[in-house]
Amino acid sequence: MSDRIETFLGLSVELTAFSRFDLLATGLAERYLGTLDKVVGGDTTNTLLAAFAALPPPGDGTRARALRATILGSELLGDVARSLIKLWYSGTWFELPYAWTQRFGAKPADATFVVSPDAYVEGLLWKAIGAHPAGAKAPGYGSWAYPPKIPAFPASDTKADAVSVHLQNVGIMS
Amino acid sequence: MHTHSSIRTLDELKEFLHGAMQLEHATIPPYLTALYSIMPNVNQDAAQILRVIVVEEMLHLTIAANVLNAIGGTPDLTRPDFVASYPAYLPDGETDFEVGIQAFGREALATFLKIERPAARSEHLKAQSPLIHRKSSQHKTVLGSHPRNKDLHFYSIGEFYAAIVEGIKELEEKAKREGQTIFTGDRSRQITSEYYYSGGGELFPVFDLKSALDALELIIEQGEGDGGGIYDDDEHELAHYYRFEELVKGRYYLKGDKPGHPTGPPLQIDWDGAYPIKPNLKVAEISDGSELREATVAFNHRYGEFLALLTRAYNGQPNLLLEAVPVMFEFRNMMLELIRNPLPGHPGLNGSPTYEIGKNTADPYAAHRAEAAA
Amino acid sequence: MLFPSESALRVDPQAVAGSRDYDIVIVGSGISGAIIAKQAAEAGKRVLVLEAGTGANRSLVGYDDLLTTFYSAAAKDNQSPFPVNANAAMPRSPQLRKLQAGETDSSTYIVQSGPYVSDTTYTRIFGGTTMHWEAKTPRMLRSDFKSRTNYGQGLDWPLSFEEVEEDYRLAEQEIGVSANVEDQSYLGQTFPDGYVFPMRGLPLSYLDQQVNNGIDGTSVDLYGRIYPLKVRPYPQGRNGIPNPAYDGGRGYRPVGAVNTHQVEEGGRCQGNTNCVPLCPVQARYHSGKTLAKAFRMNGKSGQPLVELLPQAVASKVVIDPDSGKVSALEVKVYEDPRSPVYETITVRGKVFVLAAGAIETARLMLSSGLRSTSGLVGRNLMDHAYLLNWALMPQICGTMRGTSSTGGIVDLRDGPFREKQAAFAIDIHNDGWGWATGAPTSDLLELVDDRNLHGRELRQGLIDRVSRQLLLAVMLEVMPVESNRITLDPQFTDALGNMRPILSFTVPEYTMRGAAYARQFSRTVFARLGAQDHTSYDRSDFGYVAYEGQGYAIRGGNHLAGTHIMGTTKTNSVVNKNQRSWDHENLYLVGGGSMPTIGTANVTLTLAAMCFRSGRDILNYLH
Ligand SMILES: Cc1cc2nc3c(=O)[nH]c(=O)nc-3n(C[C@H](O)[C@H](O)[C@H](O)COP(=O)(O)OP(=O)(O)OC[C@H]3O[C@@H](n4cnc5c(N)ncnc54)[C@H](O)[C@@H]3O)c2cc1C
Ligand code: SF4
Repeated sequence: MSDRIETFLGLSVELTAFSRFDLLATGLAERYLGTLDKVVGGDTTNTLLAAFAALPPPGDGTRARALRATILGSELLGDVARSLIKLWYSGTWFELPYAWTQRFGAKPADATFVVSPDAYVEGLLWKAIGAHPAGAKAPGYGSWAYPPKIPAFPASDTKADAVSVHLQNVGIMS
Repeated sequence: MHTHSSIRTLDELKEFLHGAMQLEHATIPPYLTALYSIMPNVNQDAAQILRVIVVEEMLHLTIAANVLNAIGGTPDLTRPDFVASYPAYLPDGETDFEVGIQAFGREALATFLKIERPAARSEHLKAQSPLIHRKSSQHKTVLGSHPRNKDLHFYSIGEFYAAIVEGIKELEEKAKREGQTIFTGDRSRQITSEYYYSGGGELFPVFDLKSALDALELIIEQGEGDGGGIYDDDEHELAHYYRFEELVKGRYYLKGDKPGHPTGPPLQIDWDGAYPIKPNLKVAEISDGSELREATVAFNHRYGEFLALLTRAYNGQPNLLLEAVPVMFEFRNMMLELIRNPLPGHPGLNGSPTYEIGKNTADPYAAHRAEAAA
Repeated sequence: MLFPSESALRVDPQAVAGSRDYDIVIVGSGISGAIIAKQAAEAGKRVLVLEAGTGANRSLVGYDDLLTTFYSAAAKDNQSPFPVNANAAMPRSPQLRKLQAGETDSSTYIVQSGPYVSDTTYTRIFGGTTMHWEAKTPRMLRSDFKSRTNYGQGLDWPLSFEEVEEDYRLAEQEIGVSANVEDQSYLGQTFPDGYVFPMRGLPLSYLDQQVNNGIDGTSVDLYGRIYPLKVRPYPQGRNGIPNPAYDGGRGYRPVGAVNTHQVEEGGRCQGNTNCVPLCPVQARYHSGKTLAKAFRMNGKSGQPLVELLPQAVASKVVIDPDSGKVSALEVKVYEDPRSPVYETITVRGKVFVLAAGAIETARLMLSSGLRSTSGLVGRNLMDHAYLLNWALMPQICGTMRGTSSTGGIVDLRDGPFREKQAAFAIDIHNDGWGWATGAPTSDLLELVDDRNLHGRELRQGLIDRVSRQLLLAVMLEVMPVESNRITLDPQFTDALGNMRPILSFTVPEYTMRGAAYARQFSRTVFARLGAQDHTSYDRSDFGYVAYEGQGYAIRGGNHLAGTHIMGTTKTNSVVNKNQRSWDHENLYLVGGGSMPTIGTANVTLTLAAMCFRSGRDILNYLH
């Protein structure tokens, strides 16, 4: 895999809190990087990737703050990063805010669209809540009668035990 | 005629039926993997037939368990070698052929065609023993071999089942002569349509010779297609073999077509429309510590749990089959995830379920579960 | 393929026009038309079914295409799987806007006449609205058939529950209803000894169970009477577990369940949570299943008895002035949904059945100049009014899983209070706030864009926000009112030049009184659950209705009825109790339009039952 896609995956892991494996499991990583290139252009995409690469290393206490300051809080990159989060979570590219277009110029491909039928199906939103996209990846007859299986994710510092009662596989087998 | 049954005792019959269950199960992983290797939005026809067949194989597995239960056996899908080690071997006349875990494509199709049309003997060979002696390596899974001697292979799956049918008839006849029956199983252990939303045939209880023979007949008929006709008896369903052949030929069959010569509308096949999984991948080939390896092991573990659940369902708790349903749907997601992830160190190849059940499958979730149960 | 391959071959419109041997010509391939077609074929009759929409979804590939269209749609509204077809247009809700009194909006297919705007919808495609429905299948209550006598409201049916009961059984069999008699024996509903539904009831969702934990054993007091609360399962028209005790122990075979066509014709419900607008695995009943059986029936010469002509819009009912009977139908047949080019053919038969849905059947009658002796064609339009209430449960409930709705609160479907206010049934929506707010997409946007969440906090935020959602959709009774109606005006036409329906509707006060109570009721339930109420109704909402100083956003229920009600005489109704037109003896107007009241039962099971009755009457007439 190219460095560019690796950096893109690194950024996406940080923004979504889904692992590299989970992101690759959608089969959509390259298409999403391509979507960024197509909609906001290669230059802005590269700026975003460079900003990510320039963050202090993981484990450094200032990394989270830097991410907010240089990416999420950047006039140019913030809205793009947010659209990328929404893309991963829903498979839909949401049109950039009006203010962004006013400032950085309208992009011809920037409209709200579903990247592909499978992008809808692979939206991470569903996985995050232990559900499935309406109309796809059905969980099977009767599964709805059991508590949801919300996958565990790397615990944050503040809410370490948020989902411990809803771990994988509880309920069905036992 | 001859057909010397090699089954002489009830215990031997039970072993044969375990062999049948193993055999019916053995094609599920290859079909499932091929099915889920198909990329989104392409090869819908292929996906559809694969889906139908998997459901049917599950049905056959369940029927075999019913027959085993009917004669007082205890189906056990958790035996160490129940799940084949892939590539596994199926009898094909004088030789065996390889059935492996691979992506959907021409090679996979060639295998599926062989599975769906087992070797038929030409007339002059018919009188010979159904068993063929052939040395096979220790580590190979040879399906349809004699339970007592792995080197004795049946000529075909059909003859393997013929031996079972013959064995049941003879043992029951013998029991009858002594005023007894071999059908001593508890009827409440039978799985019926109520528990299994069947595809490809009715699931009825087995409790006597007739129902046992009917049940086996269903497996045999569907396993082999029927002798030559493109359509099954009710004239609506194309036999599996020909549905696969449609894919190879890129054309649908119409009623009245001659075998091998479909004349219907053309059909779209995208031979590149499958993820390039590494055939017959083993966990040991995936870099240690990688997320992919962890997920592969987790899948194997889950699959093992599924077989354990089925075993309980087949042993007096048929309603557990309903619980097994969500688990099957869960596999699908787990498999898709493996299949879409690149295999580290093998550029251009992707991961795959390995179906190494009971081997290096420390449960990665065990710790969590203990915590949740507490 | 779903159907015998011959049936998918295109029928030649000229051959249809030239044919003189149809016993029955049916307009519409929805459940109403399908039931009558199948019954007629069983009796060896020749049947032509005309369908305005395309028939592409008759094949599995065509059906799957609808699913792909749905996945690709940026706005996943109700009709998103169904491609736009101006020649057989249908209402699409996202296009609606608020209107003032006297204002008309003709920008959507149904011309809306203000102030109240209805987002009610139906689907014009092969299989009709059952390609789209949610498939709840409750029966009407005994008292619903006599609401005038019992409560001084609405109209009495010319039929009693007892007269319909056997046809309910047939309808439940045809649809393949999953339910348990024990669960449905509330409010005095009874079933014959030993009756079982074709399939076992679907289990309640985890969300339903959580709600039930909070309210079971509590009750409400309404006008001095106590109503106990509980979450009860809904009967459902989707494949569950066949009940071996069905039909005296013979069991029930779901369509497609016992052959390898299962994936083509319908698996067991897998919890796709997408019953509306399209079940991906055809577990949910659609009328294609009934038609598939009809298409397989052959006449003596081996020819199929039932023919289907898709892309054929019935445009005029032609009456023979001497006999008053229908002599023919004029039908506009188009080549391509993207082009308005059409040819007009004339179709003849012995009996004509209009099964085009309550709005389209009325439209066709009115555009043919047939108002009926009673003048009631198009009038008494009814549809359940929905009031949505949404809240966040204190605990994770796993919302967004299961069929659209598995359970609800239905104990206020009947009671003496109906003298004063509408009864209601409440669905618990397994898809959360989706209907009210556009969840979960709207939640994602809010959390990312407004609350600036990303990474772990976003994941946790989504769990807290979505998995706890509870939506109580209150379905309120609406009584017949003559001024609620469909009319036509030559200035509003569609691509083929057919006049479009104009809808004028005011939510009756009786219903609004029920709505006001239902709002209070929902607040009480939320309080008992410890749920945070997030309900708010926007003044600019197209369905906003003010009542006694409060405002409510009313949604359409898609349970269209009443446009050609049945009754006892030609002056008080359009059709008799067999749905035969009083004015034209070989014309049947079937479907929801014949219902004089709708109670709190989703209408389809009842209209299906009535079609069995009409089918028998038609066969009698032909003999
Ligand atoms: C979102 C939604 C959810 C629903 N949920 C439920 C539910 O849970 N329970 C329930 O009981 N009901 C429900 N309904 C209502 C239910 O779908 C309808 O009551 C039922 O499908 C009506 O069947 P029908 O055959 O009478 O009419 P339709 O299904 O509307 O069929 C009419 C047919 O006629 C065709 N047609 C129309 N005009 C012409 C013409 N001029 N020429 C030729 N053909 C024509 C149409 O294309 C269509 O195929 C729901 C409806 C919707 C939209
Ligand atoms: S829940 Fe899913 S599978 Fe079940 S009927 Fe609805 S859409 Fe179909």
